[in-house]
Amino acid sequence: MTKISAKNVNVFYGSKQALFDVSLDIMDKEVTALIGPSGCGKSTFLRCLNRMNDVIDICKVEGSIKMDELELNSRKLDVVRLRENVGMVFQKPNPFPKTIYENVSYGPTIHGMAQSKSELDQIVEMSLKKAALWEEVKDRLDEIGTGLSGGQQQRLCIARAISVSPEVILMDEPCSALDPIATAQIEELIDDLKKEHTIVIVTHSMSQAARVSQKTGFFHLGKLIEFGDTEKIFKNPDNQQTQDYITGRFG
Amino acid sequence: MNEAKRKLLNKRYRAEANFKLFGQIAIGLALLFLAVFMYKIFSKGYTAFQKTWIVTEVHYDKELMLIETDNPSLEDLENADYYDIAYKAMTRLDPSLPEEDDRQLIQMVAFTYEQEVKNHLLKNPSLLGKIVPIRLTASDDLDQVHKGNYPRDIPEEDRRVNDYQLKIYDMLNERGDILSKFNLSFFTNPDSREAELAGIASSFMGTVFSILVCLAFSFPIAVLAAIYLEEFAPKNKFTDFIEVNINNLAAVPSIVFGLLGLGVLLAVFNLPRSTPLVGGITLSLMTLPTIIIAARASLKAVPPSIREAALAMGASNMQTTMHHTVPLSMPGTLSGTIIGLAQALGETAPLILIGMVAFVNTIPGTPVDPAASLPVQIYIWSESAERGFVEKVSACIMVLLGFLILMNLAAQIIRHKFERKWN
Repeated sequence: MTKISAKNVNVFYGSKQALFDVSLDIMDKEVTALIGPSGCGKSTFLRCLNRMNDVIDICKVEGSIKMDELELNSRKLDVVRLRENVGMVFQKPNPFPKTIYENVSYGPTIHGMAQSKSELDQIVEMSLKKAALWEEVKDRLDEIGTGLSGGQQQRLCIARAISVSPEVILMDEPCSALDPIATAQIEELIDDLKKEHTIVIVTHSMSQAARVSQKTGFFHLGKLIEFGDTEKIFKNPDNQQTQDYITGRFG
Repeated sequence: MNEAKRKLLNKRYRAEANFKLFGQIAIGLALLFLAVFMYKIFSKGYTAFQKTWIVTEVHYDKELMLIETDNPSLEDLENADYYDIAYKAMTRLDPSLPEEDDRQLIQMVAFTYEQEVKNHLLKNPSLLGKIVPIRLTASDDLDQVHKGNYPRDIPEEDRRVNDYQLKIYDMLNERGDILSKFNLSFFTNPDSREAELAGIASSFMGTVFSILVCLAFSFPIAVLAAIYLEEFAPKNKFTDFIEVNINNLAAVPSIVFGLLGLGVLLAVFNLPRSTPLVGGITLSLMTLPTIIIAARASLKAVPPSIREAALAMGASNMQTTMHHTVPLSMPGTLSGTIIGLAQALGETAPLILIGMVAFVNTIPGTPVDPAASLPVQIYIWSESAERGFVEKVSACIMVLLGFLILMNLAAQIIRHKFERKWN
């Protein structure tokens, strides 16, 4: 089932065009990986999906992005509601400089998801468990989140993102600042999360894309060169550029 | 290594050594100036914290005090006449002095001696009818003689303390009847034309009130302006224009703000002249740009990743700002505010223009009472001719510097303790 359907998406930063006619369908409860060399527009596309490009004044998005029946690229869209439904994990772990508990409880609190303290406690525990962090932090929930290790911080950010039970989770190179062990933990986590969430992940690591995703899109110079089943993209791509990129001939 | 290369290398090492040397000389000079400055102030000012008294005896003679009842109430004592007994308390120091020269003795104490005698009795009504020792504030000239600040070897006609008074002083000093103790009245008295009575209470309170008014006006306005400009305002030509003007405002000479206070606050709004209210508002015009700049800088220092994190969680702009950005920027904003206030603390020119230079011999209880401020007090006293004010000027500078150091220390502590290091 298609969760998100993008049609002819063009993005401009001022006069510079960053994305050219990108169309792709993201399947529900699957992991979709976006790969490509730096500056190819994959992060820009990802940020269209939760309207984070709104933060940039000069950024203009054209085309249609539909999530279920909702048009995301519409002026009338309530971005606050959208972002409640589409969580995001960033490249560099960015927990709030607050306690671990406050980091996870922030989303449910501002969206009024818990009626009582115990309900909130439950959400925090559930989210931390899903993010495979609970065992490590359950005795120190009132410690500052930024005091954790890099990998733990990133899992805390994932816990924060899933605390509001979003349908979609966007990940922007979530492992690029982590060591291999922390990366492996996150990848395992992504595999678990796809049971309940639709995941779109931007990555620089082709092996990571191959390991975690079901669908892969290859971007180059703002164009979506090829999109399809991960296995096909990595074993038998249709496009010569894709072939060159995944075999390491450029990028 | 060939010759040319070695030469070049030596040259580079020499250049570095010279640079270090110049740096050390610069630091040394700065420290030297600071030390000279501090030494001048402290060596001149420390004596102001000592006060001199003359000990004599007073006879609380009912008859001379014109008390007619046998059992006088406190009110009767309040209304009694102290002129004669106070006068006699002084003349008894030298009974051999002809009556027409009595003034010479009276001049040795502060002109408030009669009041001092009265207060002494009112505190201990049981002393009525008795002869008891009492200490009276010495005149500023005698005070200076006792502190050794007054040259005794210049010709008598050039001296404000004549030979006779010096003789009496020496006699009293020998008897141990000259007391020198901590000068509490320097801190509790308002200003006075008499150096021995002048204190910093009115100017100190004036400064405190001015700073509080300044804080109350400038902090909320500046912080809101900074938050709006940094987090909400669209970035366009107009906001650029505002930014440039805020920076310009920070560089406007303070006397211009004084004129603004005079022309607008006093002339248009008719606020009470010479008051900390007007002074504080005028100073807040000065601190406003400083705080805005500090607050914007510390808002800017909050990494965008925190804003993105909050926005991506579905927080509104307002929630992102109030829950995350502003609390994180507060330490920087606060230390900037304190530094702005410390600048305002030392400001003299605008306060002179709005009339806080007036001679105020009452202690202000509210921001709408007339008051001076510490830097203006320094200015007023430095204009005074009496020798007794010289040490007061230095002492007042010491108090002002102490105040400044405390504030800057607070700013430092806030900065170090609460400011987050982003890595």
